[in-house]
Amino acid sequence: MTDAVVLDEITKRFPGVVANDAVDLTVETGSVHALLGENGAGKSTLMNVLYGLYQPEGGTIELDGEVQEFDAPRDAIDAGIGMIHQHFMLVPPMTVGENVVLGNEPTKWGGLATDRSRAREAVRELSERYGFAVDPDERVEEISVGERQRVEILKALYRGADLLILDEPTAVLTPQEVEELFDVFEELTAEGKTVLFITHKLGEAMSVADDITVLRDGENVGTVDADETSREQLAEMMVGREVVLDIETESVETGETVLDVDELTVTEEGTDQVRNVDFEIHEGEILGVAGVDGNGQAELVEALTGLRSPDEGTVTLDGENLAGVSRRGHIERGMAYIPEDRQERGLVMEFDLTENGVLGGQHTPPVGGTRIDWPSAREHASDVIETYDVRPPNPEAGAKSLSGGNQQKFLVGRELERDPGMVVATHPTRGVDVGSTEFVHDRLLALREAGVAVLLISANLAEVRGLSDRLAVMHDGEFVDVVDPDTVTEEELGLLMAGERPDEPTTTESVSADGGER
Amino acid sequence: MSVGRLRSALNGGLRHALAYGLAGLVVLAALYGLVFPETMVGDLLRLATSKSTLGAALRLAVPIACAAVGGIFAEKAGVINIGLEGLLIISAFTGVFVTDAVGSVFSIPGIWVGFVAGVLASTLLSLLFAVVCIKFRADQIIAGLAVWLIALGLAPFAATVVYGSVNTSSVGTLGTWTIPVLSELPFVGPVLFDASPTVYLMFLVVGGGWYVLNRTSFGRHVRASGENPKALDTAGVDVTRVRYLAITLSGVLSGIGGVGLSLGQVGQFIGNGQTMVNGKGFIAIVAYLFGNYNPLGAFGASVLFAGLDALQLRLQQIPAYAVPSSLVQTIPYVTVIVVLALVGHTRVPSAAGDHYESGED
Repeated sequence: MTDAVVLDEITKRFPGVVANDAVDLTVETGSVHALLGENGAGKSTLMNVLYGLYQPEGGTIELDGEVQEFDAPRDAIDAGIGMIHQHFMLVPPMTVGENVVLGNEPTKWGGLATDRSRAREAVRELSERYGFAVDPDERVEEISVGERQRVEILKALYRGADLLILDEPTAVLTPQEVEELFDVFEELTAEGKTVLFITHKLGEAMSVADDITVLRDGENVGTVDADETSREQLAEMMVGREVVLDIETESVETGETVLDVDELTVTEEGTDQVRNVDFEIHEGEILGVAGVDGNGQAELVEALTGLRSPDEGTVTLDGENLAGVSRRGHIERGMAYIPEDRQERGLVMEFDLTENGVLGGQHTPPVGGTRIDWPSAREHASDVIETYDVRPPNPEAGAKSLSGGNQQKFLVGRELERDPGMVVATHPTRGVDVGSTEFVHDRLLALREAGVAVLLISANLAEVRGLSDRLAVMHDGEFVDVVDPDTVTEEELGLLMAGERPDEPTTTESVSADGGER
Repeated sequence: MSVGRLRSALNGGLRHALAYGLAGLVVLAALYGLVFPETMVGDLLRLATSKSTLGAALRLAVPIACAAVGGIFAEKAGVINIGLEGLLIISAFTGVFVTDAVGSVFSIPGIWVGFVAGVLASTLLSLLFAVVCIKFRADQIIAGLAVWLIALGLAPFAATVVYGSVNTSSVGTLGTWTIPVLSELPFVGPVLFDASPTVYLMFLVVGGGWYVLNRTSFGRHVRASGENPKALDTAGVDVTRVRYLAITLSGVLSGIGGVGLSLGQVGQFIGNGQTMVNGKGFIAIVAYLFGNYNPLGAFGASVLFAGLDALQLRLQQIPAYAVPSSLVQTIPYVTVIVVLALVGHTRVPSAAGDHYESGED
């Protein structure tokens, strides 16, 4: 068996950092290879070197036994490498077919027109060969994220790629779409293609890859056979110390009701996004919300945090009805909010960390008030950076320059350091590496112990089950049921998430939605 | 009843009802005018559909439509070119000046030499705009305003230096080309096929613009460059090159429009106030927004605006109505506002106005 890729002693330096330190990597032809590591371990840098985006200071790249030198992605594409970036490189208003052939359009009439039927045929043929169900005539903006990813893969295949590099391909996908993607990997390797993907999720690497290479601090820690390794071993290789993967919670005495939501309904364009939702959260309690994305979680959170006003029902915080209270009022009443989309709502990408640290606190001393006290703002940002291990540890660094995981850590830090009485956390560890996830979980549990009420919404089932005291399952805008996360089974959760209501309260361990029994 | 529901009903239903209602009213008025030709409405209808008004509408549409198609290319590629007005001014002046100063070259009539020179002047100015916007990463709106102001100052100044007045002397027009047989057709013949050569050029610009944008690889690259330049870049197409070409094209097309105005219709350059261009470049921007970045739609809008302009010019000549002329002059602009408020489905390219540099994250 020949090797598709052999990287030998690749070294890449950036001012002040060695991103890749003499990294070796061998990828067998026709295999699925996972490149595993924490945020900032140098995975993406290594792949960008292989794709010709960066020129390494040392080392050689060998493809199918031939030494290659890439000055630009164009050279790598010509050598049969295709890269699927985390942020898709697609033109939304154009059709699938137009996107696939972009830059390599088949033409007719001596180049005077694009040959649309030939392009459509080529895309249809490729998509059938690999079992992708994509319609070349649909607009990219109208298809799902999973389908967009397949369009990206088709783009690479259309350009004759034999080696596909995918940068964190599962970060944006639903669990079902992840499964479909892994099926695609199988189709690809069956056709003799090689797949190399970047991830920081242990489970994914183990379930789909043949071989796993772990990077840490820019060095190759080792390559292991996926069948002969364990989650614990991989986690230790990634972090460099032993990691506790299971979340351990201690029981905490719950206190007064902090948040009381009564018959909440949110309507958009004539349909109920949230319908008659009813719950309470007490001091020292974490209420988890599980459910497939897009079942009203986002609208529920917006109604709770003051970003929109509910169409019906009331939200009461510490005994005060929040109807008509502004977003600023919510912050001043001690509600912290970790938004779902950190780049859209959490941080201002053009601001540095000091400025981002002020956001939401611009009206309250010591940082805010009538004017902003920049020295203490800088100090505040430095504190968050230090406590939450944000890298690089520089309050002047622009939010844009941080990796997604570090942006998230800073955002979580800013919100939790507000000394809140109530935390609304949506996907608090999305895109965050194992070590930092553990840290964020610890912080949330510490808040719970300190008597804070937490509403946790997460697409990660293990996370909501591990952290929550009670677990609500949301489907089509409604709380289908509220269950005990310790006794509910994965199957039961799956059924509830699909909207199957329990027949009798006795079949599942139902807990009263008001939580009075705990 | 929720506020949201009410709001969406207002936005969707009411707007449609208003748009259709208004269109229906126009049709009804036209029918009324047809049935009762002796009334004032009938009079108006006859005026609006007369050969001279329609011919004038097409002539007046030339600078608007050509600049609009040029603007579409620039903005679709991601560069908002609000300097169209300036490009029209500079080409209108240069065309007349070169015609007057150079005369015929190699037996090409002087007026056509001037025509080419005018287009060249606009192209060069747009190239300057492109360099400032792309290479030096200037703000596109400010650079576009600068193009307008430079042309607005330069053209009357140059005219003053050469002719001693902001207006140039008269050099004659391109005249009309009558196409045999076709011009004999009833009604459409004399309007469409007995017209200035610039009107034919406008048809070519609009049709060609649509074809290039929708049927060629270059057109695809232009659209991709304005929507997601990074996607185009990773596909191996040079975004900077696409944008330079698109802006230059907007200069060429606006040049045709500007020369079409001075040499095609008037035969001289008038530099008073806002010059003879008088906001047509800005109307062009409205026209392509109204046409939703489709050259055919932009053409329709240009003809509508130019037609209203032609109508108001005619109305001023009829003393019977005694409508103050300044009120009549506002008709095209009021229409623009009403139409924009009622259409409201324009989709602006996502990356329009953004700088792009390869390799940046």
